[in-house]
Amino acid sequence: MVHPAALCSPPHSQHAPDVIESRVARKDCSSFRHRLRLPQYGLGVALWAAAITVAATPVSPDSHSDTAPDSMFTFGGFGTLGVVHSDQSLADFTATRSEASGAGYTHAWSASVDSLIGGQASAQFTSQFSATLQIISQQNADSSFTPHVERANIKYQLTPDFALHLGRSALSVFLLTDSRVIGFANPWVRPPVELYNIISLTSSDGVGFSYRFLIAGGTNTVDGSAGHASEKFPRGDESNTSTATADEQLSLIDTYQRGATTVRLTYGQTHVTIASLTPLFEGFRQFGPQGIAIADRYDLSGRIVLFYGLGAAYEPGDWFLMAEWGHVDTHSALGEKAGWYVSSGHRFGLATPYATYAQTTSKTNITDPGLDLAALPPSSAAAAAALNAGLRAAFAVIADTTISLGARFDVARNIDLKLQADRTRLGPHSQGWLINAQPGFEKGSSYNLLSASVDFVF
Amino acid sequence: LSVHEHILRAFAAALFALGMTLGGEAALADVVAVVSAKSAITSLTADQVADIFLGRVSRFPNGLLAVPIDLRDGAPERDRFYARIAGKSPAQVKAYWSKIIFTGRGQPPKAVSSDIDMKKLIAANLTAIGYIDASMLDSTVRALE
Repeated sequence: MVHPAALCSPPHSQHAPDVIESRVARKDCSSFRHRLRLPQYGLGVALWAAAITVAATPVSPDSHSDTAPDSMFTFGGFGTLGVVHSDQSLADFTATRSEASGAGYTHAWSASVDSLIGGQASAQFTSQFSATLQIISQQNADSSFTPHVERANIKYQLTPDFALHLGRSALSVFLLTDSRVIGFANPWVRPPVELYNIISLTSSDGVGFSYRFLIAGGTNTVDGSAGHASEKFPRGDESNTSTATADEQLSLIDTYQRGATTVRLTYGQTHVTIASLTPLFEGFRQFGPQGIAIADRYDLSGRIVLFYGLGAAYEPGDWFLMAEWGHVDTHSALGEKAGWYVSSGHRFGLATPYATYAQTTSKTNITDPGLDLAALPPSSAAAAAALNAGLRAAFAVIADTTISLGARFDVARNIDLKLQADRTRLGPHSQGWLINAQPGFEKGSSYNLLSASVDFVF
Repeated sequence: LSVHEHILRAFAAALFALGMTLGGEAALADVVAVVSAKSAITSLTADQVADIFLGRVSRFPNGLLAVPIDLRDGAPERDRFYARIAGKSPAQVKAYWSKIIFTGRGQPPKAVSSDIDMKKLIAANLTAIGYIDASMLDSTVRALE
């Protein structure tokens, strides 16, 4: 997307664009203009109260006169306050793979699954040169709400249709990946985890470009990026996290948009390292040729993780139909995963009821027995058995199917209320995307969620 | 559980709201897209106007740069304009720009505070495109479509 501000004073424009600059309010949507104080001490009640007060304040026409002082800075924010109930009391449902705990086992009703708050500051230094900083506070892998920097980049707009960026930028592998946390921008309580969890990275540190051109009566945008990213995952006990890093990450995303139709194709590749798996494969390498063969076959190190995605949306206004599919092959113990969903909704005035069907499937070598314990001396068989157990855990099959029914209600210009009910059936031998499974948890069972959330932007 | 009760009540309230909003929308006066009377642009389709205002294209079909101008957030003409050209409700327009802004891909059009300012600005700038109530048309601006 091109920054419209860049259009206002193009070097080759013949007609007094500075008249527009001086006469038009610098920041268009007044409700995006409220100044945001970023959270300094995590997610506090006071911050929430302030954010909701700001979001709920009716915007008076006087608050945005066109004589407002011209500033190169724009500030804005977004947030969600949501609760989720799960009837599966022996495992936790979480909205992303980075959250330490969720609804079900840890809390029957959890407010820390969907709730988050984010703020963004942008600076337009010249018509071509801009910078963006975005900070988000949401539940982390260590259970804290310590804010993290989601984006911090500079962008140079060579032409209205060609931009280069440097720094931490959005990675839009799926249609809603880059706006996954902006509840107000999405039709549902949360994008289906069945697809959005298979590639959970939302940003990447590096360089990229965006180029768009007109073709076949529509607009085609090509986004390319190269960089690296890292993400912390919970390990089951709240004090422990594991870091996954994606190095030498390359992605090419093509988005074609015409009228109400959007189609996106994504290709990505990267080298992934998961810190907590490294000792496992080092362990196998101690066990001679058989152990080395197992490590070589299943270790992530040095392997290319390949990703493909395809998505389409039709949004003529009163209704929408969206479908997306994605596939990731890790060429390692983690196997292959695919996810897809189809969702449709219809707007009746302020209410937009919707239905979604979503599924994750995965393929791993779960039947691989690992090291042959019978061939080992009793002294080392116990260590080998522990390694085999670790390998089986890495093989975990993630498969489930979810049907969701819900509705979005636009209760104010910048606030919505969403209610959603989900029924998830886990695949055979799978705990799906649930975490913190307790003794007695039954793989392949079903569970139900009830969610209510309020989203706002300011 | 009292929380259950609250959720049930919220669902009930939501269903009520749904019923209330199922009624049709009142007939609307026309808001038309306009450019300067001196502009070379004589007509655009609703889709072409929507593409310009939603930041999907940066130029008119003849290759000239297009700078969309909005009325202030909350102006009834603005809501009617987006309903007509893109079928979007005010919340849908806000949701659309939330996605663009918070993914760092752009900013919405600049806004003026009144339709009088809008008309003056459009009349004086060949690159600008805006919208006004059809009753305000005069010789300084040209209605498109």
